[in-house]
Amino acid sequence: MTSLKHGVNLSRRACRPYIKFLAAAAFLAVAVASPIESTTKQSPSITVDGISTYPGLGFGPMGPVAPMPGEPPGTQLRQQQETTTETTTTAKPKKERTFVIAAVEFHRVETPFLIGVWIFFASLAKIGFHMAPKLSKMFPESCLLIFVGVLIGALLLSTHSVHVQPLTPDTFFLYMLPPIILDAGYFMPNRLFFDHLGTILLFAVVGTVFNTLTIGASLWACGQTGMFGCTTPLLDMLLFGALISAVDPVAVLAVFEEIHVDEVLYIVVFGESLLNDAVTVVLYHMFEAYTEMGASRLMYTDFLAGFASFLVVALGGTCIGVIWGFGTGLVTRFTNEVRVIEPIFIFVMAYLAYLNAEMFHMSGILAITFCGITMKNYVEGNISHKSHTTIKYTMKMLSSSSETIIFMFLGVATVNNNHDWNTWFVLLTIVFCSVFRIIGVYIFSAVANKFRLHKLNTVEKFVMSYGGLRGAVAFALVLLIDPEVVKLQPMFVTTTIAVIYFTVFIQGITIKPLVKILNVKTAEKRKPTMNERIHERFMDHLMAGIEDISGKHGNHHMRDKFKRFDNKFIRPFLLRNYQGAEPKILETYSKLAMRDAIEYMQRNASTIGNISGAESMSAIFKNYTNSNFNGRKCFSPSFTQLDSSTWNIDMQELEYNPSKKDLTDARIHHLLAEELCKPYRRHRRLSYSRHAVNDRDLGTQVNYKTHMNIRRLVGDRKHHHKRSKRGKQDGKNHVTFPEFQQNGSAKQFTHGKKKYYRLDYIDEVLQEDEEQPRRENDDGGITFTAKSPGYDEVSPTSSHKENSSSLLNQLANLPGFNPLKARIVKQYAKTPEEILPTAVEKSLPWRRDRSTYNFVPNEDILEEDERRMSDDNDTYMTVAEQARVATPTATETMLPWKREEAEGTTALKQSEFPSWASNKEYLAYSSPSATFLGGIEKPKHPKSIIGLFRRESSSSTQAADLPIASDSEGKADSIKGDSSSMKGESLYSQPKQGPSLLSKRSTSLGGPSVLLMEDVAHSDPLGASSRPASIMQGPHRGQCRRGSMLELTGSLSRDAITEEKCSKSLPESERMGVRRLALGQQSLPREPFNRQLTMASNLLTSSSSDESSDENT
Amino acid sequence: MGNKSSLLLREEEIAQIQEETGFTPNQIERLYSRFTALDKNDCGTLSREDFLRIPELAINPLSERIVHSFFAESHDDRVNFLQFMRVLSHFRPIRKNRENRLNSRDEKLRFAFSMYDLDNDGKISRDELLAILHMMVGVNISEEQLTSIAERTIIEADTNNDQMISFEEFCRALERTDVEQKMSIRFLN
Repeated sequence: MTSLKHGVNLSRRACRPYIKFLAAAAFLAVAVASPIESTTKQSPSITVDGISTYPGLGFGPMGPVAPMPGEPPGTQLRQQQETTTETTTTAKPKKERTFVIAAVEFHRVETPFLIGVWIFFASLAKIGFHMAPKLSKMFPESCLLIFVGVLIGALLLSTHSVHVQPLTPDTFFLYMLPPIILDAGYFMPNRLFFDHLGTILLFAVVGTVFNTLTIGASLWACGQTGMFGCTTPLLDMLLFGALISAVDPVAVLAVFEEIHVDEVLYIVVFGESLLNDAVTVVLYHMFEAYTEMGASRLMYTDFLAGFASFLVVALGGTCIGVIWGFGTGLVTRFTNEVRVIEPIFIFVMAYLAYLNAEMFHMSGILAITFCGITMKNYVEGNISHKSHTTIKYTMKMLSSSSETIIFMFLGVATVNNNHDWNTWFVLLTIVFCSVFRIIGVYIFSAVANKFRLHKLNTVEKFVMSYGGLRGAVAFALVLLIDPEVVKLQPMFVTTTIAVIYFTVFIQGITIKPLVKILNVKTAEKRKPTMNERIHERFMDHLMAGIEDISGKHGNHHMRDKFKRFDNKFIRPFLLRNYQGAEPKILETYSKLAMRDAIEYMQRNASTIGNISGAESMSAIFKNYTNSNFNGRKCFSPSFTQLDSSTWNIDMQELEYNPSKKDLTDARIHHLLAEELCKPYRRHRRLSYSRHAVNDRDLGTQVNYKTHMNIRRLVGDRKHHHKRSKRGKQDGKNHVTFPEFQQNGSAKQFTHGKKKYYRLDYIDEVLQEDEEQPRRENDDGGITFTAKSPGYDEVSPTSSHKENSSSLLNQLANLPGFNPLKARIVKQYAKTPEEILPTAVEKSLPWRRDRSTYNFVPNEDILEEDERRMSDDNDTYMTVAEQARVATPTATETMLPWKREEAEGTTALKQSEFPSWASNKEYLAYSSPSATFLGGIEKPKHPKSIIGLFRRESSSSTQAADLPIASDSEGKADSIKGDSSSMKGESLYSQPKQGPSLLSKRSTSLGGPSVLLMEDVAHSDPLGASSRPASIMQGPHRGQCRRGSMLELTGSLSRDAITEEKCSKSLPESERMGVRRLALGQQSLPREPFNRQLTMASNLLTSSSSDESSDENT
Repeated sequence: MGNKSSLLLREEEIAQIQEETGFTPNQIERLYSRFTALDKNDCGTLSREDFLRIPELAINPLSERIVHSFFAESHDDRVNFLQFMRVLSHFRPIRKNRENRLNSRDEKLRFAFSMYDLDNDGKISRDELLAILHMMVGVNISEEQLTSIAERTIIEADTNNDQMISFEEFCRALERTDVEQKMSIRFLN
């Protein structure tokens, strides 16, 4: 017993010197860049010198490298070495006097450098395969990598570096394997895994033992016939059987990832390959120890010890993993202040679990697998989305690169002179491996089927047996065998390599077509729908209940029990904000809601202006989802939206007017930003902080203020250039305006008290910045509620926050305000006396703010909390200013360009852009705001003008004389939209009136004409002039809508017709279009909205691990 | 207890139940012993209280509904063994080569659907869904969130715009779910 343990302990992945790897690395370097490196290479004496000079920096393994076995001959080099040796020994005192300006000291960086070179080339090779699609279609990546490895190995061999062995067991087990296994464990579908745990364990434990014994025994039996030409002791054969029988997780992953089989099949094979590690390790060491002890001294207690050791290794490894997993969960609970280091805990603690298990000679693979499985649920609840993404990518990166390197090293290791090829032995091993794998699978799946609901059918059995790939684990284990004890070790190595090649090449290549031929159920990657999520969860509960009733303690029962325990004890302890039961439902909901939102935004960007804020987000999406589900079950939003967005771009360019689409777009963006998805904001901070990622993913946007204001103080002008450049760059997608959002606060500095406010303000902002995180983490709701007073303050003079009529009022009161207006008007309108200019102003709200503070605040309309501050104008302003500092006003958040420009000089001053504008994901659909902002400087764009006006006029005329079928729906929509926006308007113009009443009224409206009247009612002073504009509104929207409909139907003909018609009435329609667009951007009423936002953001904060997939796809 | 129960069950009863539900005689006897174990009053029928006395079931969030589903056919709020077995037979795994009457996919789905559909109008309304969500999700989530989740769910499944989920819509929503497996348990022989 003790001796066995001792043997196990000693031999298990015994530490080997790094020399092998070093040598390999050196030879690679030699092979790759022999001329350069040979000159830079220095003698051992220098190495010693270097190390003594820098005692702590010796890179451990890099110390005096033993004379390289295959040192490139080259007398020149040797001479050089000698000379350097001399100089270093004799001329040491001299050296102290001279100061070396530049020196090459390759050996200091040799090991890491060569490791880097390996990784680099392996990754390059991987890139190469994917550039040759034909190749990668035929062969699995693993094959190609091995092939490349062989090439490199041949190269090394040709440079006489015979003893190169880059793939040492130590590097393999300590560095390369853990990332792969961690990746597998962390992203393991837990439920699937545990559902099939019985089957997996059966295969992993019993199956592996069966394979080991049968393969070993058969080989021994064959050896008795003398066909191998050497003595084959039973124990040696069993040892070999132990290492060769284990299915390799790396190989299985590599192949199964490519064939996308059904998840049950996948989890069974892969789970087996993971869990059989414990068995393999134990069997291996057991037989190794027996071999060392000699068969004669074996006693039955040794076998019992073997069995006990299996339990210890397996359960111990699992326990260590689980404990570390919980530990990770606990640690990440407290990382909310230091988000940057979140990911490292996952990696380091998992790795520690692995090493810890290895330390106690448990199964490291089991430990790290279960560590990943355990930590996942809790970690995901604690970390931020960014950390989640980081973890995901880092893990994938690490695992795929170490997989790459493993296969490559396998190839390299193949080519050496130590092979002991024994044809019969190799052939029989392969045959036995395959045959016993198949037999084992059939036997054990028959057993498993007795207990399984989902019976494994013949095809699945076949794939399971065929997928039993051997790989690098076997190779590393065979290298661990001590040739002194096991004389056949070289033959084993060769045979192992042969078996690996056979499984990886033959089986790996053929499994893909076979899967197709056999029509194996392939996995469908999809995200659960809300219904599925809820109903499946419902079924789980139901089944657990039924099991309880029928008195059976099955899967459901166990799971239910664990879940209850988890929810009651573990989760509250490990999760920072424990959200109660069923986090998955919430998660799915927020995921889906976000997807809806994005799709909605993409598809209906042009029509979304119809949605007034009075409508709730859920209503919006309800409509959308409705249409989505009813209309066409399948559609490709990306294609359809592509069309519409380009179309809209043109329009924007032409009008260079923040048209409805812009406003809409911003509105939607901010809806999304605050409610559903958290677009990835880039927070530029004033000072670069290494220790904190400003991770405000909870929908508040306060932290931009500091930056913004300072920026603002430092200089306004430079953005000018930036923007104009951008405008030239492209009218399309990827214009980046990272600081746009920051506008709002900055612009609050108004004329009179500018300086005073600024100083004050910055202080506040700084304070605010400190306070912010706490608040943010609580929930987004607070912020949102805080917004509404701030909102009112945007235009404190008028009771109607952004109501167009009130704006018109303001503008009417400001006759002298118009230098810009005139300019814009000139560009657009033929008759400046018309209402048009004001409409334009309305549409360019940043010009409004000039007027804003000229008015006496109308205190009636202030919110209560503001009212108490409104003693006089000044104090009011100050307080209001503060209020705004605390939270950007809703308008600002909604419509970034609405933020007042403090100096308020030009429309072009609009110089800072929201960070989301630089987000490519967000801009993927050609955000019109980008185009609008970019295009403002060069408005006329002949082509687009034509295109636009065709459409424009078509839309304007269609109400009168173009009865287009598809328009009917569009019109209906537009009416609805109008009425709802109207609702918003009237809400503000008549604040006392209940919203419900208004909504009734507006919904009862019949059509555009009625709407017109409504509009007129609000826009008192300019009512007459706004009338035509409001008339236009309907058709325009209808037209927008039609645009998207056309995309859907793909019918271009209608479009062409209308275009023709419209091109005639071009100038007129131009004006109309302008007006229409201008009016289209009536703003949203705020309160119902806020409620919605608050709610949804609460939801968002609650579900933490959503979106990640969306982020990444 | 087991002996007693098997004594109480006559051959022809077993045959009848087997005929109707597809359980094997062994399973029937086993379940009958379970049935009598639950039947604390020894009156041959189960009341709701008898069900809710099962400790695990008592803390099942859906316990009420699950128990209720057993009483669908009963008129006097008692469940006899045949009714008990009929309900359970919905959860028998599907055998390919045998007749699956009560445990077909359709029946399984219908069973689940009827658990949602409290008022038996053949449609899941928003409130019915909300009630279930309430049970499952618990108190930690606000009413508004739950409502929007319910609405979203209904919209997703609702194809005829009646703001309800009919059985057909329900089936369609779960098209891709492995209901056969998810709603089956292995009854011990």
